Amino acid sequence: MKNNGGKKLFSTVALIVGIAVMIFSLIFDVISLKDANKKGIPGFILKEVQEQVKNAEGSDNYEAIIKALGVKADKIDDIENFKNVTTEKIQATLKELGSGNTALKAQLKIYDYRGWMLIAGVILVILGLYFMPTKKHRKIINILFLFPLIFAFAVTVLIPFACGIFYSLTDWDGVKFTEFVGLGNYITMFKSQDYVYSFVVTFIYTVINMIAVNVVAFALALLCTSKVKGRNFYRAAFFIPNLIGGIVLGYVWQFIFNKVFTTIIPGSMSMLTDPNLALAAILIVSTWQYAGYIMMIYVTGLQGVPKDILEASSVDGANSFVTLTKIKMPMIANTFTVCIFLTLVNSFKQFDLNLAITNGAPSRILNGKAVQSTEFLALNIYNTAIGRNQYALGQTKAVVFFIILAIVSLTQVTISKKKEVEM
Amino acid sequence: MKKRIVVAVLTGAMAMSSMTAFASEDPIRFVNTKIEIDAQLKAFAEKYEAETGQAVKIESFGGGVDVNGELKKYYAAGNMPDIFAFANDSYVSFKDWLEDLSDEEWIEDTDYEFYGDDGCVYGMPFALEGIGLAYNKDILDKAGIDPSTLTNINAYREAFEKIDSMKDELGITAVCSVAAESGQMYWSTGNHMMAVYISQGLDRSDKSIIEMEKAGQIDEARMGQFADWVKLLFDYADPNVLISGTYDDQLALWATGKAAFITQGNWIDPSLPAYNATFDCGLAPAAFSEEDTNGILVDAPSYWGIYNESDKIDEAKEFLNALISSEEGQEILVKEAGMVSPYLSCELEPETPLAKSMIPYIKEGRTYAWDWLNQKEGIAQNATGAIFELYAKGQIDKDGFVSMMADEIANY
Repeated sequence: MKNNGGKKLFSTVALIVGIAVMIFSLIFDVISLKDANKKGIPGFILKEVQEQVKNAEGSDNYEAIIKALGVKADKIDDIENFKNVTTEKIQATLKELGSGNTALKAQLKIYDYRGWMLIAGVILVILGLYFMPTKKHRKIINILFLFPLIFAFAVTVLIPFACGIFYSLTDWDGVKFTEFVGLGNYITMFKSQDYVYSFVVTFIYTVINMIAVNVVAFALALLCTSKVKGRNFYRAAFFIPNLIGGIVLGYVWQFIFNKVFTTIIPGSMSMLTDPNLALAAILIVSTWQYAGYIMMIYVTGLQGVPKDILEASSVDGANSFVTLTKIKMPMIANTFTVCIFLTLVNSFKQFDLNLAITNGAPSRILNGKAVQSTEFLALNIYNTAIGRNQYALGQTKAVVFFIILAIVSLTQVTISKKKEVEM
Repeated sequence: MKKRIVVAVLTGAMAMSSMTAFASEDPIRFVNTKIEIDAQLKAFAEKYEAETGQAVKIESFGGGVDVNGELKKYYAAGNMPDIFAFANDSYVSFKDWLEDLSDEEWIEDTDYEFYGDDGCVYGMPFALEGIGLAYNKDILDKAGIDPSTLTNINAYREAFEKIDSMKDELGITAVCSVAAESGQMYWSTGNHMMAVYISQGLDRSDKSIIEMEKAGQIDEARMGQFADWVKLLFDYADPNVLISGTYDDQLALWATGKAAFITQGNWIDPSLPAYNATFDCGLAPAAFSEEDTNGILVDAPSYWGIYNESDKIDEAKEFLNALISSEEGQEILVKEAGMVSPYLSCELEPETPLAKSMIPYIKEGRTYAWDWLNQKEGIAQNATGAIFELYAKGQIDKDGFVSMMADEIANY
C-alpha cells in the first residue's frame, strides 16, 4: 500500500512537471522569436544584457566587458547593433560582469536548452503515465505504444498549426516578429478586395466543380459497370488523366486553349482571355482530371451493391431508372459521402491547375479596380506570402482557410452520414 | 550466418561512406540562381580547384524557383551557402546575412556594385542586362528605317506606320511582339515596361520617379506619356500574342522573323539559336516621350554576396575575385555564358547580338538605371500587371490607365 502511494506521488508529480515543462518550452520558443537578432537570441535577453552593460559603465573592466560582447562602446545604445551577439558572447560578457545576474544566466540557459526541455517534458509525461497506479494500466500501455505516431503528428501538424495561429497575430516576416498586432491581420485581410474576391470566386468554383465532377464521375461509373464492350479499357482510360501531375496538365491545357481551340475556330479569342470563360476553362480541366478518380470510387461502390437485391427488384418489375434511383443510389450513399467530401475539399484547395493554367489572369474591373479574376484562395495565400513577402498576412489567410475548410467539410459529412443506409 | 554477412557488409559500407565524407575537402558552397550558366560555372570551379586546391561546389536553382524563399529555408535549416545571389528586392530579407565587401579591389573597376542601406558594398555584380525595344535589323533595313533615329515616340509612330503598310512585302504578321497577359507575363509588363516609365531619360542618380512610386504617388504627366507609348506598342502588336501569349509565343513570333520589334531585353539572346534566328538585331531605346532619349536601361539584375557567418569568407572572396578578374573567368562569363561584363578592365565582348549591341550604349554612357528593381515587392504580379492587361484588351482607355495606376500604386 505504501509503495503504491509513492508511485502515485511520483506519477502525479512527473505528469504535472512534464506537461508544464513541455508547454513552457514551446511557449518560450515562440516568444523568443520576438525582436530576435539574426542569431536567434530573443529580444528580451538582448535588452537585459544591454542594460547590465550600460550599468557597468565606468567600472574598471568596462573595456573587457565591451570586448566580450563584441559591440562597440559608442553603439551600445542601439539594440540594432546587437545583431551579431551570440550565446557565447553573452556568457563571456556575464563572466566579466561578475555575480548578480543569475536571472539573465537562467534565461540564457533556458533559451539554449529549450529543445532538451521539450524532450525531458515528454519523457516525464511518459514515465508519469507508465507508473500511474490504476487499473487502466494496460490501456495506458497501449496508448503509449501510439507515442511515435502521436509525437510525429504533433511535431509535423499540431505544433506548426498552433504556431501558425500565433504568427497570424504578429507581424512575422518569415524569420522573426517585432510586435503583436492582435487581430490587425484579420482586419486587413477582410478589408482587402482581392481576398474577398478570391473568396467568392473560390466558392463559385467549388460548388460548380463539385457538382460537375460527381455528375460526370457517376455517369462514367454507370457506363463502366454496365455491359458495354471494352469497359475495362474505358475504366483505365478515364483514370489516366489523374496520374499526370497538375502542373504538366495545366500547361498542356493552356496550350490547347490558347492554340488548338483558336485554330479550330478561326478568329476566336482564347478562352483564357475572358474572366468567366477562364473560370470555365479551369472547371473543364479539373473535371477532366478528377472525374476518373472519383469514378473508380463509384465503380467500387456500384459493384458492392448485392446482386440479390437487384434481382429481386427486376423480378418486381423495376425498370433500370427505378433500380438506379431507388436501389443503387441509396445503397451507395456512403460512397457519395466520400466522393462529395473529396471533391469539395480538393476543389476548395485547388492550386496547381490554377497556377499553371491562368495564374490568376485574366484581370477584370471590379468597382474601378483591377483584380485577378481567377485567383483562388490557395493561390492568393501563396502570392501574399511569397509574392508580396507578407508572411504574417499569408498565415492569417491560411488560418481562415483552414477554419472554413473544416467547417464546410464537417457539415457536409454530418449531413450525408444521416442519409446513409445501414447494411 | 547470412544475417551476419549482411550486417558486416552494411557496417563496412557505412564506415566507407563516413570515411569518404571525411576525406573530401570542405568546399565553398555557391548557390547560383542563373541556371543557364550552371555548366560554365562548374567548369570554372573545376579549373579553380585544380589550380588552388580549393574545392567549390556550385548548386544551381532552376528558373521559376522562388530563390528568396529557398534561401530563407536554407537559413532556417542552418544550411546557408557561402556565396549566394540576391537582387535589390530580396536585399531586405538578406541584409543581416551579407558580408561587407567595401574593401575589395574590384569596386574600383565597376560602376554597378550594390550598396546597402548603410552605404557599404554588399553585392558583387557579375553581368549587365539591358532593357529596350529589341529590333530585327534585317526588317528595318528592308523598310528603310535607321534604328538610330528611333529616339522619340513620334519617330516610332512613323516607323510603325511604315512597317505596318509594308507587312506583306516584309513577310511579317505584326509590327511588334508584345505579351501583356497578367498571369504569366506580368513581369514583362509590370516590371520591364514599367521600368521605362520609372527610369527612361533620367540620370542614373535621379531617383525621383521611383521614390514617388514607393511613396504611393505617380507623375501623372509622365504616366500619360507612358500610356501613349504602351498604347502605341499594343496597337501594333499581334492581338493573340498580346492578350493570351506566353513568353515562348512572344519570343517565337519575333525570333522567326514574323515581327519587327519585341519588348524584351538581351536575356533572350541564348534562346535565339533554338529558333534558327540568323538575322541581325539590336536594342533600341524605349523612347516613350516626345523629347529625345537615346539610351537604354542597363544594370546588374542581381549580385553575388557572401554569407557573413561563413567560415570561408576569405576563400569565397578570393574565388569571386578570380572568377571576375582572371582571363579564364572572364572568358567563361562573357564568351561562353554570353553575359556583358560590368568590369571596365574586361576587354572581352560578348558574341551574342543583343548583348553586343549594348556595348556602345555602355561605353558612351547612354544608360539609365534599373530603378524598377526597387518597386514594392510583388507589385507587378499583384497590382500593375492586371492594369496592363485591361489596357491591352481595350477595357480601359488612357485616362483609365493613368487613374488606375495612380490608385493601385497609392493603395499597394
